[in-house]
Amino acid sequence: MSAPHDDDRLLDHSYDGIQEYDNPMPRWWLYIFWGTIVWGVLFWLNVPGIGVGKGRIADYDASVAAAAADMPAEPSAGPDAAALLAASQDPTAVAAGRTVFGAYCSACHGPDGGGVIGPNLTDAYWIHGGSPEAVYHTVNVGVLEKGMPAWGPTLKPDEVNAVVAYVISLQGTTPAAPKAPEGTMDPPADAPSGDS
Amino acid sequence: MNPQLESFRYDDAIVRKFLWATFLWGLIGMTVGLLIALQLAMPALNFDIAWLSFGRLRPLHTNAVIFAFAGNAFFTGAYYSSQRLLKARMFSDLLSRVHFWGWQLIIVLAAVTLPLGFTQAKEYAELEWPIDILIAVVWVIFAVNFFGTIAKRRERHLYVALWFYIASIVTVAILHIFNNLSVPAGPLKSYSIYAGVQDAFMQWWYGHNAVAFFLTTPFLGLMYYFLPKAADKPIFSYRLSILHFWTIVFLYIWAGPHHLHYTALPEWASTLGMVFSVMLWMPSWGGMINGLLTLRGAWKKVVEDPILKFFVVAITAYGMSTFEGPMLSVRSVNALAHYTDWIIAHVHTGALGWNGFLAFGMIYWLAPRLFQTRLHSMKMAELHFWLATFGIILYVTAIYSAGLTQGLMWRAYDVTGRLEYPAFIETVMRLMPMYWVRVAGGALYLTGMVLFGYNLLKTWQTRPATYEEPVIQAAPLGDYEELAAPRPAGALARFAQAAWHRTWERLPVTFTVMVAVAVIVASLFEIIPTFLIKSNVPTIASVKPYTPLELAGRDIYIREGCFNCHSQMIRPLRYETDRYGEYSKPGEFVYDHPFLWGSRRIGPDLAREGGKYPDLWHVRHMEAPRDIEAKSIMPAYPWMLTNALDFDGIQSRVDAMVMLGVPYGPAVNDAPAMARQQARAIAQSIAAQGGPADLSDKEIVAMVAYLQRLGRDLGAQPAATTVGGQ
Repeated sequence: MSAPHDDDRLLDHSYDGIQEYDNPMPRWWLYIFWGTIVWGVLFWLNVPGIGVGKGRIADYDASVAAAAADMPAEPSAGPDAAALLAASQDPTAVAAGRTVFGAYCSACHGPDGGGVIGPNLTDAYWIHGGSPEAVYHTVNVGVLEKGMPAWGPTLKPDEVNAVVAYVISLQGTTPAAPKAPEGTMDPPADAPSGDS
Repeated sequence: MNPQLESFRYDDAIVRKFLWATFLWGLIGMTVGLLIALQLAMPALNFDIAWLSFGRLRPLHTNAVIFAFAGNAFFTGAYYSSQRLLKARMFSDLLSRVHFWGWQLIIVLAAVTLPLGFTQAKEYAELEWPIDILIAVVWVIFAVNFFGTIAKRRERHLYVALWFYIASIVTVAILHIFNNLSVPAGPLKSYSIYAGVQDAFMQWWYGHNAVAFFLTTPFLGLMYYFLPKAADKPIFSYRLSILHFWTIVFLYIWAGPHHLHYTALPEWASTLGMVFSVMLWMPSWGGMINGLLTLRGAWKKVVEDPILKFFVVAITAYGMSTFEGPMLSVRSVNALAHYTDWIIAHVHTGALGWNGFLAFGMIYWLAPRLFQTRLHSMKMAELHFWLATFGIILYVTAIYSAGLTQGLMWRAYDVTGRLEYPAFIETVMRLMPMYWVRVAGGALYLTGMVLFGYNLLKTWQTRPATYEEPVIQAAPLGDYEELAAPRPAGALARFAQAAWHRTWERLPVTFTVMVAVAVIVASLFEIIPTFLIKSNVPTIASVKPYTPLELAGRDIYIREGCFNCHSQMIRPLRYETDRYGEYSKPGEFVYDHPFLWGSRRIGPDLAREGGKYPDLWHVRHMEAPRDIEAKSIMPAYPWMLTNALDFDGIQSRVDAMVMLGVPYGPAVNDAPAMARQQARAIAQSIAAQGGPADLSDKEIVAMVAYLQRLGRDLGAQPAATTVGGQ
């Protein structure tokens, strides 16, 4: 790039003092250019409706099927009420649940479960049932028409269990700004009262 | 001596005007850029003030940098070089001034209307219809002035820089007019005549070629004049100029749909965009090669001369971004990079590196010549170079990492087959350190800009009392006499000698027509099938028009620039559908004038937002996002809860939609009443959920109505009634 190029031939024109060499185009440049054109033509063979390719929707369907085959939906054992109740009194499980709650639930139910957009979770009144099974069900599949998302597909199974245990443990606590009770009285069986 | 020599003077006063405008708007555009970069790292800097919020300032930043900074830089160089390359004063001093002041007026209007929320919601085509008309008029004035100068030229053949100017002027006019066709619904409100898939296609046909014919070809033209001037070297290869010019003009036009991979745009179209983008790699590099090889034997000078340094980095940045562009257009790469900061890094390599540095080098070269004095300080120019270079490096490396990080997090699965980062906010928080590095890089670049201005000012202060205007003498063009050049035998040899092109170069009308034909033919190859093939957009019976209230809400969404951060386009990729729901179908957007698919996900996709959260959630979230999500970086929109909704203004909007063929039924006569009815129902639901008592006449209900509608038609029963659709 730096050697003087005595063999360069100057063209006979000059524009405001600017001259041009009659150099050929670099070979590698031309070859790559032709290469991309050939590739471009060949690539059309992969366009659905024009070539043999199946297209992005078929690829997507295949990837969904492959994922489903890879990770078959485990037959859910369902909630284990006794285990959930036990977990709600286990400080380790409750601490894990509190983390999940802080990340996903506190936006609507408040950081202390007192309710903001969603209902108060600390009182004994429940819109969709307060038994461990019912709370598990609400968290897992949601109540879409009321704005409660289904967390089962998002959270891992033990995260769902942990957050349900945490919610049960909230029973009887005193939030800073409790929302008025909604739903009907349905305390979790043998729910611990007071702090936990 | 030729007795017929004519005497004339160049108009450099107009060049000085454009030079100052370039600096001033560059400073403003980059300062706004720094502010919005800070807003992403510190949302409090949105100040809860409507006209200072990110969604409104981001288009101001892009428009100011593209059309004000780069635009004025192009005009500076074009007015200086064209007169000299054509050996003629500009065709009309009056037209030059009308062009200058008209363009500055457009920029001022943009700087006022964009923060006030007047926008067409199409990237780099945000300005509303009266300003669009003004742009077209001013552009035509520029064209008349430019081609008029060509007509009275005293240089027979057109130099390559002028080819690029011609291509830019012709193509920008075509792009601008056809992308901005719209039906006005008020003095500063309009709806694109295209809907959904077709609007997206037209927008990116325009958007990509705005990059091509506003930021690439004009600057290649500038490079072909100012680089050989500054280096005092001949251009490396005339034949390379010819081939890379024509291939750029013909191939660039096709590349737009690569912005729409995996969207509802038909696959043949996005593939066409991708294939032509890859073919563009070498034509683009032709410019880089011709630039860098022109410097053969001048590299010692580069070490000493900051002007050449700016040019070398500019050309290198051009080479990097025109390699990266084709790479990003490849579908699988695009799947990762699309919607992330990678694209932001890519465009900043181009804008800060290529456009910025070429403009700086050019202006440092011009300043002593235009102000007829010495440059105040070469050392300061050198410092500007290094500050800006490190600024770019910091900026782009941080934002490349941010793009890759977020792209990989969005697609990550854990061992149980679930998304590793199901909460979108996790993927945002991870970017914060990189956002701060970006701020640092931008601040360095802006500091260089301030030095640049100071240097120019000090140079200007030592100008002579009156500028000398040297008299130039040149012979007018007489009848053309063919030189008896030896004709090579054989058609192929003659073609390779490019003698045919030499003929075109002295026939500016033929040349311009050929450019227009290349651009128009290439465009029509894509546009005609996009609009005529019905199977591109299969009808979905359950998709109905927005109700009048939802339409009003959609206009608020547009006004606040929500589309700058939220896409409405779920791609058929498993990690997208797992996160957002069923992938978007072409038929879902048939009433979307304009389309709002977005191009960057600073926040999550909203294509299926409807019904995901209660109404009250949206009210609270708009009022104070961080009350809902502590780490959110979304601006707050408290004014939506206090601004009264203009119910009566809805009728003219519905009417405009009807003109576009949207089947509105009873809403044609009764839009405000229907909107009020729906607003009352939503306000009641908000109150019932424990929210503020009466919001029924506030903008927020329209916003909630729109957000709750998003994406729900697909699953709706065809017979389901909506307020607007019957």
